Amino acid sequence: MELEKNMVVSEFLSKGSVLKQGAEARVYRDVFLGRSTIIKERFPKKYRHPLLDEKLTHRRTVQEVRSIQRCRRAGIPTPVVYFVDYTSHCIFLEDIVDSVTVRDHIAATRQRSHPSPTLVPLEPLAARVGRVLARMHDEDVVHGDLTTSNMLLRRSGDGEAELSLVLIDFGLSYISALPEDKGVDLYVLEKAFLSTHPNTEPLFQKLLESYAASSKKSSAVIKKLDEVRLRGRKRSMVG
Amino acid sequence: MHSSHPLELFPGRTVTLMLFKCVRNPAELRRSAMGGQITAALINPRMLVDPFQVIVAANKAVHLQTIGKMKTRSLNSEIIFNLSPTNNISEAFKRFGISDADDSVLVVLVATGDESQTLADIKEKVDGEQVPMEELPTLSDVTQIRKLYKVTPQEEKMGGLLDSVVCKMATKDVM
Repeated sequence: MELEKNMVVSEFLSKGSVLKQGAEARVYRDVFLGRSTIIKERFPKKYRHPLLDEKLTHRRTVQEVRSIQRCRRAGIPTPVVYFVDYTSHCIFLEDIVDSVTVRDHIAATRQRSHPSPTLVPLEPLAARVGRVLARMHDEDVVHGDLTTSNMLLRRSGDGEAELSLVLIDFGLSYISALPEDKGVDLYVLEKAFLSTHPNTEPLFQKLLESYAASSKKSSAVIKKLDEVRLRGRKRSMVG
Repeated sequence: MHSSHPLELFPGRTVTLMLFKCVRNPAELRRSAMGGQITAALINPRMLVDPFQVIVAANKAVHLQTIGKMKTRSLNSEIIFNLSPTNNISEAFKRFGISDADDSVLVVLVATGDESQTLADIKEKVDGEQVPMEELPTLSDVTQIRKLYKVTPQEEKMGGLLDSVVCKMATKDVM
């Protein structure tokens, strides 16, 4: 039975195309129930004890689904969950069609402004990211893996002003009200942002200003961020 | 005038939908479905935004049947249960099943292979007018749907009512 139930989805996935493969999961694109769908499969990790592996994988799948629903309820755009298979640990998600990652968008915009580099055209986007993250943190959702690749811009009407920001990949997310956790969330983004997009410090500053202005609980988080910058992501284990 | 949708995860299986208006024998139909003379799920279309909602519920029902983890006794009752945003079975039947006072019904049939005979048999039993699936939105009660699925205004504004409803259905067992 165990074998047979996993066959259903794996046979389906064998026909789909792999978009991405990470350490934690594989991502496919396929047509499911007549719609273009993204399927995230958390495959078994052979290096872990089978029982522990099953438990961790299950917990992460559940966590991802919960965070997505929590964000959606608050009006923060994330992909719709169509179906979850808790036996093969697959999440079937809405394919955000006609979208680019924030990473590619920033890179393309900077390319265009070459040779007179200016960050001004990107400031509204940075402010938008700050606002969305503030709302997410106000819902006590900590993303856990904020990068500009995990944010999509979707055309919702015509013109650039109509781009809406969609957050994806809640695989490492969790629910927490602690400013510490939210501060680390921003710290991870700062590191990723500045290494993916060199010389954009003013842009990230803009993002933080907008975050601070939008969130009711931002001052404690920004204070924690300053602390985390001094010590790094991990807390000291001494004492 | 029925519409059929393949379940990609279960090759050979399709979901077939038939919509009826001005139904004069709802009580009889409900009894037949419960007694097993009608082998299809009979659904109250007032709580449906779009056929996609039913296909999502049917896919989940077939999946749970395959792995032996259905919460109700049959595939057809499982489809009705999966439509509900809560885990309360009797509540689900009350909201999404047909009641003796209803005058419209959506027939949902999950079939393997040729189902034309079953479809004809069901059509025979329904004393009402079959209408195209496109008429489904004219029968839905959007205000009640919003209330039942607890869709917040900001959520609906983001991606529409159908997205919110489907997402709630798909995630209900871990919320």
